[in-house]
Amino acid sequence: MTTTHDPTIPPPRRLKPWNAVERGLAKVGITGRMLVLAAPFLWLLVFFLIPLFVVFGISLATKQFGRPPFSPLLTTDEGTVQLTLHLNNYIRLFTDNLYVAAYLSSIRIAAIATVITLLIGYPMAYAIARAPGQWRSILLMLVILPFFTSLLLRVYALTGFMRGNGVINQFLGLFGIEPLVMMQTDFAVYVGLVYTYLPFMILPLYTTLVKLDDSLLEASADLGAKPLRTFLTITLPLSIPGIVAGSMLVFIPAIGEFVIPSLLGGPETLMIGRVLWDEFFTATNWPRAAAVACAMLVVVVVPIMLLQRFQNAVVEK
Amino acid sequence: MAKKPQLAIDTRPWRDAANNKPFVRIKNVSKKFGDVSAVNDVSLDIYRSELFCLLGGSGSGKSTLLRMLAGFEIPTSGTIEIDGQDMTDVPPYNRPVNMMFQSYALFPHMTVEQNIAYGLKRDHLPKDEIAARVTELLALVKLQDYGKRKPHQLSGGQRQRVALARALAKRPKLLLLDEPLGALDKKLREETQFELVKIQESLGVTFVVVTHDQEEAMTLATRIGVMNQGEIVMIGEPTDIYEYPNSRFVANFIGSANMVEGTVTEDEPDHIRIRSAELGCDIYVGHGVDCAPDQILWWAIRPEKMRLSREKPEHPQNANVTTGVVEEIAYLGDISVYQVALESGKRIRVSQTNSVRGNPDAITWEEKVYVTWDDNAGSVLTV
Repeated sequence: MTTTHDPTIPPPRRLKPWNAVERGLAKVGITGRMLVLAAPFLWLLVFFLIPLFVVFGISLATKQFGRPPFSPLLTTDEGTVQLTLHLNNYIRLFTDNLYVAAYLSSIRIAAIATVITLLIGYPMAYAIARAPGQWRSILLMLVILPFFTSLLLRVYALTGFMRGNGVINQFLGLFGIEPLVMMQTDFAVYVGLVYTYLPFMILPLYTTLVKLDDSLLEASADLGAKPLRTFLTITLPLSIPGIVAGSMLVFIPAIGEFVIPSLLGGPETLMIGRVLWDEFFTATNWPRAAAVACAMLVVVVVPIMLLQRFQNAVVEK
Repeated sequence: MAKKPQLAIDTRPWRDAANNKPFVRIKNVSKKFGDVSAVNDVSLDIYRSELFCLLGGSGSGKSTLLRMLAGFEIPTSGTIEIDGQDMTDVPPYNRPVNMMFQSYALFPHMTVEQNIAYGLKRDHLPKDEIAARVTELLALVKLQDYGKRKPHQLSGGQRQRVALARALAKRPKLLLLDEPLGALDKKLREETQFELVKIQESLGVTFVVVTHDQEEAMTLATRIGVMNQGEIVMIGEPTDIYEYPNSRFVANFIGSANMVEGTVTEDEPDHIRIRSAELGCDIYVGHGVDCAPDQILWWAIRPEKMRLSREKPEHPQNANVTTGVVEEIAYLGDISVYQVALESGKRIRVSQTNSVRGNPDAITWEEKVYVTWDDNAGSVLTV
């Protein structure tokens, strides 16, 4: 008979103080599971919910000179506390055409960029998912590689390609083609957005496509479907979760994008991120900027909730 | 279910190969993956309405051969003919062949009905005809009430039947089944085996089934092709494969067999005599064998073809009786399997039917016993 356990050595015991803590917490009805769940909640409370309320509070104030550059919400005057809520920032958002136009333009630009990213990203994700095993990780690495340099640098590098005497125009010049105006146009903004957000589209698409069972495609072919038909009836419907996730990851940050439109876009490229920047730093109108930010949150949250609902519906089906 | 259809006078066309045209003709087919040879120079004829089983262990090439019939793999060399047409390079979507996949490969985003209708839609059949066919198929596999369900709402056995219905929907000339019952538990598997045979017989479709389960192959098949290392080592009816194996591999692979080595001492047209030191006696084989005196060969016998006794039985040629001690007994209810250690140290297995209830006089452990068998009970194997 072989013994794997020496009876003289006692089994490892947990530290006594920890036991005491656990017992103490259990008395007031707190379990380890609750503590684990509390960590992310605490994080979101401190770094998301509280700042959000602060911003919302500022959006209900008015601009004034001084520090901070906005009126206090609560004022005390001879024993009475007065709560002053200014709604004119929000009213301005709907009455001033600039803001409405900026929101609509942001949504339009983000939507077009998302569609282009999807059209470019889907074949790439498909190719990576179908590549032989040892190639996949290399190709995925290449997709992620640009993140090793900062966004600002990469967007700046794009100007080197697209400016008047940039790489592209120099190349075209070799064939005697007149230089193209690319910088400070919507075109440059789309190039920047698609270039920057492509990995966010490819990665979720890849994860759904790589899970796709080969035998489903074989079964489809076996039942008489040519490759295009198999793609449309099997591959595409089964990759909808990836398309939705990728589109959300591209569309939502693209709406509020500031760096790309300000570096690559022209004066006519109207995006809400730039409006926000100008209100905050140029006009020093913090309450207006806060209102713009809160409204943007609504603009972004609504599509997220719609998509979430759609995804739940897909899962239930 | 309809009555069993009237069988044609000759239901075994392979017995008269000269006058019957094979339905599937595999000629010298090989398939290499890189340097690895998965299927090696296989030639095989399968006849109309047959239920042919490809039986082999993992890596024997049986699945690759099936995938070449379906068109998912292109043979490296050789040709595949189905119903007189060369199909070697035809893509799967243009073949009159359907396959039932091992994992069933049901489309998860479609209902049972949509799954079954998928192939019919590809043929652009009119809507009402598709609906009629789907209803008919659901009835065939007894899933009338499950048409609107998604595959993940079905049990394993129900999914298996949906996969079968989907594969049958286009009325293929040839149905390929890859381990069709592999994912089912034993009881369900046994029930489904007979159901599968019944469906096959009533539709008259030619089935080619791949399996690693010899019991399944024996139950289902009209003929079995035993595969080993990319080659077909034996083709035959289940009884041929079991009773008359052509090689040591087949004898060992199908069922269990006791195998001994011996030397030919008498080689007559009507009998041969083999001396086996391992067995501790002479083997008298009551029919002629193509061999030469002094040739070393093997003799295999099934456990149920041997008998145990306490008294020494007489044999006219003074052969086919050996003796040993019972070492182990496995009581399986209907039969008991005895492991007998012979004087040479060789262990053989003998099974006996437990025909007497709770027999107090049964042979037991450590008893010295005589083992005997009929002259034609074993198989003489030269390879």
